[in-house]
Amino acid sequence: MRPEPLADALAAAAVAMARRFASGATMWCLSPAWPEHGRHLAVEFVHPVIVGKRALAARSVDPADVTDLLGLARSGDILALIGPVGPAADGLLRRARPRGLLTVALGPRPPSPSPSVDYVCTVDEPDLILAYHVLWELTHVVFEHPGLLKTGPATGPEACVTCSDQALPAEIRTLRPEGTAEALIDGRLQTVDVSLIDAARPGDVVLVHAGVAISSAIETTGAS
Amino acid sequence: MSEPTGFLYPFIEEEERDLGALQGDLVQSASAKIELSHSLRAETVRACAPVIRAAGEAMAERFDHGGRLFFMGNGGSATDAQGAARLFNHPPQGRPLPAVSLVDDPAILTALANDIGFDLVFARQVAAYGKDGDMVVGFSTSGESANLLRAFEEAERRQLLTVGLAGYSGGAMAGNPAVAHLLLVRSDSVHRIQEAQSALIRELWATVQHHLGQTGRP
Repeated sequence: MRPEPLADALAAAAVAMARRFASGATMWCLSPAWPEHGRHLAVEFVHPVIVGKRALAARSVDPADVTDLLGLARSGDILALIGPVGPAADGLLRRARPRGLLTVALGPRPPSPSPSVDYVCTVDEPDLILAYHVLWELTHVVFEHPGLLKTGPATGPEACVTCSDQALPAEIRTLRPEGTAEALIDGRLQTVDVSLIDAARPGDVVLVHAGVAISSAIETTGAS
Repeated sequence: MSEPTGFLYPFIEEEERDLGALQGDLVQSASAKIELSHSLRAETVRACAPVIRAAGEAMAERFDHGGRLFFMGNGGSATDAQGAARLFNHPPQGRPLPAVSLVDDPAILTALANDIGFDLVFARQVAAYGKDGDMVVGFSTSGESANLLRAFEEAERRQLLTVGLAGYSGGAMAGNPAVAHLLLVRSDSVHRIQEAQSALIRELWATVQHHLGQTGRP
């Protein structure tokens, strides 16, 4: 069998997704260009075609309601993006990791800003339905291995805080005196030092390394 | 969270830690499914070529005379119906063609389902919208969806052109006089059937566009 990069990508995403589902995640499915694919992905998980497979919480979101997701999605949830997402989803993508969302993208090209996406499955449109079918099938295979659902990092591969040069996106929630702020990092509120950066405001997404904000805002669409 | 069958494997699965082995299995399983899907699609398109030719030609003629196309399906097939309507309406190339998916309007769907029954959600819409020269295409994997079968019967009564997509052995859509053209995916996997059906609808669309191109009309 020839090597299939799509198979590797789907397998990696399925493990991460199954772990999230096992912890009670809801998967939010967004496909601004091809909304029917977002709905198809969601119904696969909610109403499995194979009798006896567990129903998993998934919901497609109308492309017009992208920003509603910031209120709907909870830390630990999954954000599935299908096809071109366009600039409307940029803000959502930049806030996804601070808010503790796992992001999985399927489509011909990785969405931008792609560094915000945890798992990218590159697939052309004619194979898109196949890709999310296999993603569903693999997710349920992982469920047959409960011991493996509990181990490993709770978030995506790029969120490892033990790496020495790792900077994490943080969403500032409340500014405090003396150059500190309460910020969401990976779904948890933490105190960060914002004294090195200019004019941070609530709602800004900044990069934080070792508890210190080291970049000015990479996303500034205001508080939400 | 434990599986209902967990008691059959006390402690063993709970202690499983070899993620690498699982990932290897997953990659292999995914590769096999991808390969199977590709070969099934190629075989299906080959086997259905005569039906695609006949249906595509008949549909092109209807489009040329102002005919409109209605798509329908349930669940994942409902979304495939929506995708097909998008392909005909907003083609990557060729002539945009008037198509509607009958699953799009929740007010109509829930009104009909609540007041009359789910079996009639498409048939009543076909009766309301179907005019001379129109067409109906229905996606089913089993070929047994009652609401599609009722809609095909309604369409046939109104002399609409009907195209059915089904899997397995075609179910009640096979040999059904209300289904003029049957595109059959010989598989018993719902997922592989839907994947092949998406290839069939692209072929059908391409055939329609080809025939329209030959007529030279805008």
